[in-house]
Amino acid sequence: MSAFLKFFTTRLGAAISTMLLVSFVVFSLMELVPGNCAERYLAYKDTQGVSVTDEDIRAEEVRMGLDKPYVVRWATWISDITFRGYWGESCLWRVDVLQLVGDKMAISMGLSLAALLLTYAISVPIGILSASLRDSWFDSSLRIFSYLGLALPNFLLALVVMLFSTIYFGETLTGLFSDEFRDAPWTMAKFTDMMSRAWLPIFILAWSATAIQMQTVRALVSDEKDKLYVTAARARGISGSYLLWHYPARHSLGPVINSIGYDLNRIFNDLPIVAAVLVLTDAGALLLDALAKSNDQQLAGAIILMMTAGIVGLNFITDILLAIVDPRIRKGFF
Amino acid sequence: MALLSVLRGKRKEISKEDYYTASQMQLIWSRFKAKRSAMIAASILGFIVVCGIFSSFLSPYAPDASGRNADYVNGAPQIPQFCDANGCSLTPFIHKVERFRSVKTNFRWVTRETEERNYVTFFPKGWDYNFLGMKFERHLFGVEEGYLHLFGTDGGGKDIFSRTLHAIGVSLAVGTLGVLISFILALIIGSTAGFFGGFVDTVLQALMDTVKTVPTIPLFMALAAFIPQEWSAEMRFFFISMLLGTLGWGTLARRIRTHVLAERTAEYVTAARLCGASSAHVIRKHLLPSFTSYIIVDLVISFPYMVLSETALSFIGLGLKDPVNSLGVMLQNVTKVDVLLNYQWYFIPVPIFIAIVLAFVFVGDGLRDAADPYSERK
Repeated sequence: MSAFLKFFTTRLGAAISTMLLVSFVVFSLMELVPGNCAERYLAYKDTQGVSVTDEDIRAEEVRMGLDKPYVVRWATWISDITFRGYWGESCLWRVDVLQLVGDKMAISMGLSLAALLLTYAISVPIGILSASLRDSWFDSSLRIFSYLGLALPNFLLALVVMLFSTIYFGETLTGLFSDEFRDAPWTMAKFTDMMSRAWLPIFILAWSATAIQMQTVRALVSDEKDKLYVTAARARGISGSYLLWHYPARHSLGPVINSIGYDLNRIFNDLPIVAAVLVLTDAGALLLDALAKSNDQQLAGAIILMMTAGIVGLNFITDILLAIVDPRIRKGFF
Repeated sequence: MALLSVLRGKRKEISKEDYYTASQMQLIWSRFKAKRSAMIAASILGFIVVCGIFSSFLSPYAPDASGRNADYVNGAPQIPQFCDANGCSLTPFIHKVERFRSVKTNFRWVTRETEERNYVTFFPKGWDYNFLGMKFERHLFGVEEGYLHLFGTDGGGKDIFSRTLHAIGVSLAVGTLGVLISFILALIIGSTAGFFGGFVDTVLQALMDTVKTVPTIPLFMALAAFIPQEWSAEMRFFFISMLLGTLGWGTLARRIRTHVLAERTAEYVTAARLCGASSAHVIRKHLLPSFTSYIIVDLVISFPYMVLSETALSFIGLGLKDPVNSLGVMLQNVTKVDVLLNYQWYFIPVPIFIAIVLAFVFVGDGLRDAADPYSERK
């Protein structure tokens, strides 16, 4: 138990320090944006007919704490987020970032996690099956599919799906909500409406990850299949699917669990672009907006940090899960 | 041995000695040749690269606004044919188009085909272009009069065929530049981390891990958003390639680090050190050559990722911009319902790019298997 506790604390420490480092990187990135928040906001006011002087800008900088040194501002930013749950104020909209991001981040997380589930629900059984039928037609057709998954990135797939659905069904299949629900508060009806439309983005987000994960599972199981312990099990009279699922498949589960966080990364990667193609109103689209249109560094930084926190969190959970599944890790052999 | 039999199949008299004295590159090449899918992919890739390099010669019109055909905006692809209702001819031709309006068309201008033939010509004079610092004006093909649009035209009347060819060139250039930059970075960081170990290694590893956890495309987006609007298209091009390179070194650096870490205590390294060689010398002359093949393979494998990232960035408008052509730039406007319903030829470049990426993936896979000495079974 103590070994497990030690494992737990070191992993937790690693996750927290990674998060700190990431937050620093993201913060520095946002600092690189030409012009600061105060200047941008007042420049906007300038266009509205309010004349702005240099003193106004300085005063606004003081109000926003922009006159303080770099490291101090980073420390305030990150401690506000951790201890008060305050993500700062959007540069352009002048409201709490959380209010803007709100349920959009929840939608994004929901879509991504559903895509992740779909990825594993498809790739693990099929990958194992493919390894057990190595060099059959099933295996080789799967290979071609995997190559396609690599060559046809998600947003191109989304475009192609849109093209065909417009030609054949006269419907672009875009958007997450029907018109009547777009700005409505959350109800059961809105949720079912979303689910009836969400299957396409979920499928598209899962596409590349599934193709790659399938090859990984196949390679892992293929490697394990010829090992001595499997031969030994076979010698004891175990055969068929029981042998496959309880010996090589179970053994190759470890690396697969380990890669969950990495796959979430892959899915997040595609999220903003797929969102742009399919007109999803989620955090991905908001991020794209903040970066490409409004240059809203505060908002963009917050969204990137949230996404990364999701990945680091999932990595931590899978590490712990792995320790529970695999006694070698739990007992500190690694 | 599988390889020996392969070699034997080619030339009967090949001795065991040839096998054991063959250089690393010769061995890889002979293993690579034995794999049919990889060889096919390599020839396709070669063809595409040639297309990319000679894009100006192959494309009949300039890919930017100067080559636009104002009379054939959003025009459908024109396929050269040998026969029509009036009989056949030996030279392929297309029908001429004219602008037309009448009561029937609600007095709007429409483009329609006429019966007149417009024959395809070869090596006609066209727009000027630079190649290797020299000026040329000959192109592979054109038509006697007016324009020929194999892949149709876009909303500005620009020839999609010419744009696609140039886009291939640009994508390959972005990929090459990006891969080169990431290669140099990976080489420096990876070998430093591996060779010195200890504290340096820990810090560099932590850095690599952190860069790896942040989703790349949002990171690219954040960085690309800083490009000032007034930058020229060329500056953007270099900046984007640099970005792709600077963020893409992680995997290769880790590989190099692991390898150097394993090899640095090997006897040949100790021997070199005892002879008074400096660290840089040992890394350069002894450690790196020991896994050149792996590096090459990794570079080929990472190439399509660079191309795809660039496509994604340009597609959302944060990457390359209009006068420069790339697949992403060409796809920028295709999500409009109008385009989806009426102008499907906008999508013609997509299968071509999928073919490029697939070719790269197959060649990379083939090279990886060929470079792995253990891939030869029995």
